[in-house]
Amino acid sequence: MSHPLEQLRESALREIDAAGDAQALEAVRVRYLGRNGSISAWGDRMKTLDPEERPVVGRLLNEVRNAVNAAIGQRAEKSRSQQESDSLAKIDISLPGTPQERGSLHPLTQMLDRGIAIFRRMGFALADGPDIETEWHCFDALNTPRDHPARNEQDTFYLPDGRLLRTHTSTVQIRAMQAAPPPIRVIAPGAAYRRDEVDATHSAQFHQIEGLYIDENVSVADLKGTLEFFTRELFGADTAVRFRPHYFPFTEPSFEIDVRSKALKGGEQWVEVAGSGMVHPAVFEEVNKARGDDAYDPEKWTGFAFGLGMDRLAMILFDIPDIRFFAQNDLRFLRQFA
Amino acid sequence: MKFSVNWLREFVDLPNKIDKLAELLTLGGVEIEAIERRGVNIDKIIVAQITASSQHPNADRLTVCEVNDGSGTKRQIVCGATNYKVGDKVPLALPGAKLPNGLEIKKNTLRGVESEGMLCSAKELGFGEDAAGLLILSLDAKVGASIVDLFPSDTILDVEITPNRGDLLSHYGLAREISALEGQPLRLPVEKLADGAPALQKKGLKIAALHECPFYSARKIDNVKVGPSPAWLRAKIESVGIRSINNIVDISNFVMFELGQPTHAFDVDKLKGGINVRLARDGEKFLALDGKTYSLAPENLVIADDERAVGIGGVMGGEETGVTESTRNVLLESAYFLPASIRRTARNLNLPSDASYRFERGVDPGMILRASQRATELIREIAGGQSAKEIAAAGKLPANHSDVSLSYQKCDQVLGLAIKPKAVDEFLARFGLRKSKSAKTRSTWKIPSYRRDLQRDVDLIEEVVRAHGVQKISGTNRSRFTLSNAADRSHDLESSLRARLAAQGLSEARTSKLTPRTAIAFGEGAIELRNPLSEDHVALRPSLVTGLLGVLDRNMRAGAERVAIFELGRVFVPPAGKEERHLGILLWGNAASAPHWRTRENRQLDFVDLKGTLESLKIPALSFRRGEDVDLALATEILSWNRAIGFAGQLSAQRRSTISAPGGVFFAELEVDPILSSDETTKTFREIEKFPAVTRDIAMIVPEKLSHAEILRLIETVNEPLLESAQLFDLFSGSESSLGPARKSLAYRLTYRDRSRTLTSEEVTAAHAKIRERLQRELGAELRE
Repeated sequence: MSHPLEQLRESALREIDAAGDAQALEAVRVRYLGRNGSISAWGDRMKTLDPEERPVVGRLLNEVRNAVNAAIGQRAEKSRSQQESDSLAKIDISLPGTPQERGSLHPLTQMLDRGIAIFRRMGFALADGPDIETEWHCFDALNTPRDHPARNEQDTFYLPDGRLLRTHTSTVQIRAMQAAPPPIRVIAPGAAYRRDEVDATHSAQFHQIEGLYIDENVSVADLKGTLEFFTRELFGADTAVRFRPHYFPFTEPSFEIDVRSKALKGGEQWVEVAGSGMVHPAVFEEVNKARGDDAYDPEKWTGFAFGLGMDRLAMILFDIPDIRFFAQNDLRFLRQFA
Repeated sequence: MKFSVNWLREFVDLPNKIDKLAELLTLGGVEIEAIERRGVNIDKIIVAQITASSQHPNADRLTVCEVNDGSGTKRQIVCGATNYKVGDKVPLALPGAKLPNGLEIKKNTLRGVESEGMLCSAKELGFGEDAAGLLILSLDAKVGASIVDLFPSDTILDVEITPNRGDLLSHYGLAREISALEGQPLRLPVEKLADGAPALQKKGLKIAALHECPFYSARKIDNVKVGPSPAWLRAKIESVGIRSINNIVDISNFVMFELGQPTHAFDVDKLKGGINVRLARDGEKFLALDGKTYSLAPENLVIADDERAVGIGGVMGGEETGVTESTRNVLLESAYFLPASIRRTARNLNLPSDASYRFERGVDPGMILRASQRATELIREIAGGQSAKEIAAAGKLPANHSDVSLSYQKCDQVLGLAIKPKAVDEFLARFGLRKSKSAKTRSTWKIPSYRRDLQRDVDLIEEVVRAHGVQKISGTNRSRFTLSNAADRSHDLESSLRARLAAQGLSEARTSKLTPRTAIAFGEGAIELRNPLSEDHVALRPSLVTGLLGVLDRNMRAGAERVAIFELGRVFVPPAGKEERHLGILLWGNAASAPHWRTRENRQLDFVDLKGTLESLKIPALSFRRGEDVDLALATEILSWNRAIGFAGQLSAQRRSTISAPGGVFFAELEVDPILSSDETTKTFREIEKFPAVTRDIAMIVPEKLSHAEILRLIETVNEPLLESAQLFDLFSGSESSLGPARKSLAYRLTYRDRSRTLTSEEVTAAHAKIRERLQRELGAELRE
């Protein structure tokens, strides 16, 4: 027959196991291990035992006490974790999370950033110039004759003091060349203005990325490679790019650039995206005159320049049907590009 | 300019397919804007006359027509149109005809009635959009005749000619270009004109303005019979959009569209004395052919007789001396006018004409007398008359442009392509250039009279690449390392600022830098444009506020409940228009864009939100100060290092009323450069605190007027070395509680730390007590336990 302490252990473990909640478990603990608990009682009883029996029973008492304590601890831990998972089970994980207000960048900003990123990978640095320009920077230095139609008041906004709002970012070409000798490899994102009636494709203010590369032996092939890379990076590798001879006073030869891509809406149509060409030697000569040196010797240096219509590119890329959306800033429009 | 393909064909063989021609021109630099197919190109459609019409027995909407097709036998056609009457002549598609829409006409039975063909609308014939009814033909049309004769097929190209290529503004000119691009021979039916040119004499002709008019010729043709033009002439000029007037005027227009040289015919009998080409007198009045009277200035060139101006040189003839039905004798003008002078005059008088368009771009000096001769011959042929043996002429034809020298190596280098000198020579020859000098490495070229745009070697290189085809040049992959510069750094910082604001829940707006007049009243004025186009674009924005308020207005009207936007862009500071980069922030409406289940109330965005956004921008040494602004109900200045860099506040009720926004509108605008410069410094490591901090709270009741800043300043003046920070964490004011009037309660958490050791409780208590004591003593704060 087993020792009564062992019987106590068995019954205690049984009761611990059966305890339904923390309260019941505490009652079990008090019953066995409390001050007057049935196991605790054996501590007092030790004195009454035979001296040779004491160490044996003492060891057993310790053993039983530890076992029961451990079982209570385990049972409590189990019940706590049960309780926690019971309460978490009630959480409806389909409830909407705490909202974070998200803002958005304007689609034109995104378009400019994408364009700038591509050119920077090709080693272009940025350049900048003012929106209010002199007639010299906008026209004379760019080989535009005095009586060229673009210069008249029907096409260009003038200020009362005779300055004007630049009609293209090509003005930055001149500023960059005035500021530093060749080689030059820069792009200039910015606004330009034309006195156009506003409609779905025309805006009085629009945005361009101007590019200028002047170095020894820069060729039409380099211009082609640069803009082909750009348009394919932007619209996808299977974008067809077409160079069409054109006329600009400040480049010769000059080209307009069309793209066609199945990835774009109306993918079968050629869409004009840029003007470009080899910097006209007359531009170099005019810059030299202003610099008072011969830094841009047209016999030594050649260069290409281009101007990309960023509003147009954004309209193509984001499938935006009307240029006026850009300046209206309707949040329902802006947030589509968040 | 509109070109008739049939007309072009007279001078050069064209590719069979129009699309091929369009591509050839496009890739050659001549942009085709539109291709319009005209006329009919279908067999078995004839002119028929409706002889009877009756209701279809089995269909309400159909009629049964009896038509005469010229064969002698009546033909029965079932028809759905209602716009005709018996006796009308209409197009009849016979069985076997194939319409442009693919429909093949068969003899068939419609609802039990036999129909032997179909009566057609304009749309069914492939021209026009009119599908509403039958195309009613002229009663002159011959019954049974093929419709092709009535509407000969042609294709009209609408072509954009760049301003440097005035030589392409005629059918002969464009044909010459096509011939060069495709390497086909050019037919010159007017070649003989050069040989037959009559002698020149000077009688009765004077040029007083030789600079504006270097050369003028006039030929007298007597006894002409003015009347309607023959059908072919009429059809030709109408095909390119010119209205037929009479045979003389039509011939003049025809020659312009054929050869590019404008001519003008005067009624000689209405001229008083000889021709004088001179500048107008100031205020000289002139009644032009368009029926309007123009007041001229000395910069306008006029063709005058002894008494008055009879034409604005190169722009428009005069009403009083124009050719009319009663004209017997004409004087035919053909001249060269200075492009710049014509451009100024046409623009200043707002009187652009087909003639001025060509003179502005420079006409071919080599064509002036040939065109005169061509027109004379046509007048003789069509209107009869005898032409003077001699042409009256004054001045000198502009000399040909100097020869241009081209290095073959330079050509290769600019194009990035090796082209054999022989090929280069051949390309240039195709465009009419003639080699005048030749060496191994370079050659010199004589420029034809019609190509005044070819002035230097790069111009010739462009001709080479156009003939060679730019698509044959392969793009190269060439780069160069480039140092970044101030513009790069500025762009990057701007981008990160934008991204930060977007991450905080603000949407970026980009408003127009051109603002309407109503906006100018706001702020200190703006730079106005000298020549605004519309009321919306009158001035350069001096600030971002008007643009962003416009955005608020638009979105509010669209039902937005939360508008939190920013703009980062240039403004133009009057009076000089200094360009500054500004950041504008506007907050209005709900703090949250949608209600959420955990938030009991959706509070309104307010000044504290605006301030929080500004504080997050890392503006160095940022502070705020109460300011004055008529447009702001609550105005504060934003300072950095004690310099005002912008303002923030709540819009005044009056200002708000202009956009009818309910609730407060919070707006800030500041210079961007101070923010960006702080971002530019590279951050370096500082050791992370190793020893724990101890926090103690202070709650106090103070007069309502005492500001948070004053309390902080006092805590700072204690100069307690262990104090790391003081954070306000609770605030309520008198009216909400039992504090009593004009009092408020604030609670601060003070954090104490020594970076080199762990603090003892006693030290902290002592430090804290010092601060408490000062607050009590100096601010009269009532401390709460």
